[in-house]
Amino acid sequence: MFKSIKSLLDLNWIYFFIILVIFWIGEINLYSAANGSLDPWASSQLKRFIFFLPVFLFVLLLQPKFIYNFSEVILISVILGLVITLIFGYTGMGATRWIRVGNFNLQVSEFAKIALVIFMAKYFHKLNAEKTIGFFRSLIPLIISLFIFILVAIQPDLGTALIILSLGLLAIFYAGIKLIYPLIAIGAVIASSPFLWTLLKPYQQNRVKIFLNPDLDPLGKGYHIIQSKIAIGSGGLNGNGFLEGSQSSLDFIPEKETDFVFSIFSEQFGFIGSILIISLFLLFFLIPVFKTFKLSQVFNKIILFTLSFKIFFEFLINISMTIGLVPVVGVALPFMSFGGSSLLSNMIICALLMNFMAVEEKKRMFG
Amino acid sequence: MEKNRTSLDSIKILNRRSFIVAFFGLIFSIIIGIRLFSLQIINSSFYKKKSADNKISIKITPPLRGDIYDSKNNLLAGNASLYEFVIFKNLNKHYLDEIKLINEKLNLNLDLEYHKPRLNKFNSYTPYSLLRASWDQLVEFEKNKFLFTAIKIIESKKRFYAHKNMSQIIGYMGMPENNDELYPQGVFHLEKTYEEQLKGEPGKIFNEVNSKGKIVREVSIQNPIKGDDLKLTVNLELQNFVQSILPSDKKGSAVILNRFDGSILSMNSNPTFDSQVFEDRDNANISSLLNDKNRPLFNRAFSGFYPPGSVFKPLPALLGLQKNLVNETTEVFCKGHSSLSDRNYYCWKKGGHGKVNLKRAIKESCDVYFYELAKKCNIDDLSELATNLGLNQSYDIGLSNIDKGLVPNKKWKKAFLDQGWYTGETLITFIGQGYNLTSPLQLAVLYSAIINGGIYPLPKINMNFPTKYQGKEFNNAHKSILMSSLNSVVQESRGTANRLNSLNPNYVKIGGKTGTSQVIRIKESEREDDAYKDKKIEDRFIDHSVFVGYAPYDNPKYIAAVIIENGGSGSAVAAPLAHEILNYAYKINV
Repeated sequence: MFKSIKSLLDLNWIYFFIILVIFWIGEINLYSAANGSLDPWASSQLKRFIFFLPVFLFVLLLQPKFIYNFSEVILISVILGLVITLIFGYTGMGATRWIRVGNFNLQVSEFAKIALVIFMAKYFHKLNAEKTIGFFRSLIPLIISLFIFILVAIQPDLGTALIILSLGLLAIFYAGIKLIYPLIAIGAVIASSPFLWTLLKPYQQNRVKIFLNPDLDPLGKGYHIIQSKIAIGSGGLNGNGFLEGSQSSLDFIPEKETDFVFSIFSEQFGFIGSILIISLFLLFFLIPVFKTFKLSQVFNKIILFTLSFKIFFEFLINISMTIGLVPVVGVALPFMSFGGSSLLSNMIICALLMNFMAVEEKKRMFG
Repeated sequence: MEKNRTSLDSIKILNRRSFIVAFFGLIFSIIIGIRLFSLQIINSSFYKKKSADNKISIKITPPLRGDIYDSKNNLLAGNASLYEFVIFKNLNKHYLDEIKLINEKLNLNLDLEYHKPRLNKFNSYTPYSLLRASWDQLVEFEKNKFLFTAIKIIESKKRFYAHKNMSQIIGYMGMPENNDELYPQGVFHLEKTYEEQLKGEPGKIFNEVNSKGKIVREVSIQNPIKGDDLKLTVNLELQNFVQSILPSDKKGSAVILNRFDGSILSMNSNPTFDSQVFEDRDNANISSLLNDKNRPLFNRAFSGFYPPGSVFKPLPALLGLQKNLVNETTEVFCKGHSSLSDRNYYCWKKGGHGKVNLKRAIKESCDVYFYELAKKCNIDDLSELATNLGLNQSYDIGLSNIDKGLVPNKKWKKAFLDQGWYTGETLITFIGQGYNLTSPLQLAVLYSAIINGGIYPLPKINMNFPTKYQGKEFNNAHKSILMSSLNSVVQESRGTANRLNSLNPNYVKIGGKTGTSQVIRIKESEREDDAYKDKKIEDRFIDHSVFVGYAPYDNPKYIAAVIIENGGSGSAVAAPLAHEILNYAYKINV
């Protein structure tokens, strides 16, 4: 089940260092979000990080083979967790997203992302790599992705649900589905978009409308986007300086410790700081991607590629929200937004990434 | 059926696909980079300003308004402290309960239904004004202070009017119609006209506020600058005296002018009002003022226009002298009426005055003398002379609703009545009736022009205003004739106001002219008819009593124009009042 402790030396610790830097910037940012105070966010987030380190180490030492074998079990537990959430979940802010585990409110949907990817990796791996993936072979992963998507979307948590669906589709695409199918799918979505629009709840329709024109509701829903853009824009090239962001300190940024952490970061550290963050996340994404080129096992490749993309994709969506490029859908900024479940799931992903980057492929490893 | 492929092909596909995804990821990153560049570099200054606007709130502190003083530096209008009950929503969630509580404890009747929606929209950290507090309410509140957390008392400034009798001149303040201004401004009379001078510069407190409007810290303060003071030519003591002797049951007014510099020394109108009522938002009193049919807000001294009656006569007399139609000795025989075609125009004295020269015509106010003169004159010449000597025009003395009045001419009649001029109309115009309309202020100015020989100082009420002269000089000999005639009205026996000398022998000696201004056109023959005199007629149809006089008669300084509406004959009512006033002004040496 476990690799030897010695194998830790083979891991890419530079990659871990990049994660630490991003997390530490997030800590500084949460400190400034509280106007130069460790409470209520920075210290609590740091405690979580330390508390989660054993889990991180645990995943780091798992044999890839073990993960491969248990992928269906993991998926089924997560789906069960999602069902339990819907039935017994803790309701807050109009959504039932959490279940109580000890002292934590656990957001199962965060882990559904990982479980889905692992399952897909095994599915496509098992599906003899020599076979072309057509419509029927992509049907099962597609159905499972949609099923989880629906379970999460009715919580309701459209942001997370869309990320899950994107990951499922990405895995199918990456595994090599014939290009014609994604093109048909895109065409179908565009053609049915008027119908999809009517499926959205009025508040979601509003969010999209206000995203397209924030001035429709400058004091209501559009307020988030307008104030966030003011914060980021006023940062200028160098930023206003550490703890000098007035949009943040005077509470003009709503949800500044979760969805809008980037706004207060960018207000303080400006364009230069923003580019630094983008570069770090780009590096975070590209290092595993380069590793995949050296690998031939489909399971390894899908895990590395899809999971590293997951974090990068959430990063892109979150920043785009804060600068008004996409509607506000409630996607956290990995390692920087305050929140336990997202931190834990991202740490697990990092452990998986480091674990699989260390894989030496000599023979067919699985199946 | 799907065909098989080699493992190597499959891996190539995966790698190619990862290139595609990574490529789109990069494009997405670049779009974000461009967007950030646009926000933070290109439009940075725009957002920096937005950010500053967000956090800086400017609080305006009203300046002290300039004071208004009379000619002897008595304070007429100043600033007083004002206490208000205000409510801070942030101090107590249940602030509405506190309103109920203060209603109960202080026996107020604040309307919750009125305040609730307004308070809902109001910023939590800004005081919302509930009510101006009276002294008793302040005391009562202090006793119960421990019960209130959201309701506080704050002090601000309000206008304070020290003397009610000045209200007709000073006017009052109100909230401006357009909401650009945050605090009251002058809306009537001098308060309005001198708004710019009096208002001062508001102070500004720049506060840093958070998103809920709570003040986080004070950034900078600009202190308010008090407005400039205004000093009036009016003498408070004289103003108060005149108001005290004007008959309180009659409408009327009096203007006292210094004939050397045009200073208005007092200007009263009855009934009057108290400016403080407006400042105190005393709505019951305000609406009763506005609805009073006697119009107490209406200053009759310059807004009230009446036919001048016989006080007008020096003007046609001067015209006759200037046109060489009469001289000092020219006599007219007054048999009680004058005829024009088939119509008779009556003198007030039924039996007639007999032989009348100019001086006697003025002294005894003979109408026939002026009818005969009118027959030889052109109405346009009289109108022009009147304009030269101060009638037919308004004066820019900073008061609202000041009008021009009228001494008619042919052009005016054509334009306004679309009729030609009849000679008969010239006759009644010459005795100050007909279309003639003058205000008491204009009459005072007319007499100032006569006493000054044609070039007269424009009336003024602002002490710092330089004296300006206008008019057209006339022959000094003519002036002497007019002056001796006007003096004889009071100083010689059978003068219409001669009884003033016996009434108050110790008073300063004056000259002047009585007048009786017709309210309704009764048949000329009835005018001084005994039957008419004895007839009990309604008050509102009684003639207006007019007198314009000056003192001392040998070297005039003060001019008084007095009109008492429905007062009866000029000699009986207005003349004694004018004498009292002129004597008072002379004694206190205004």
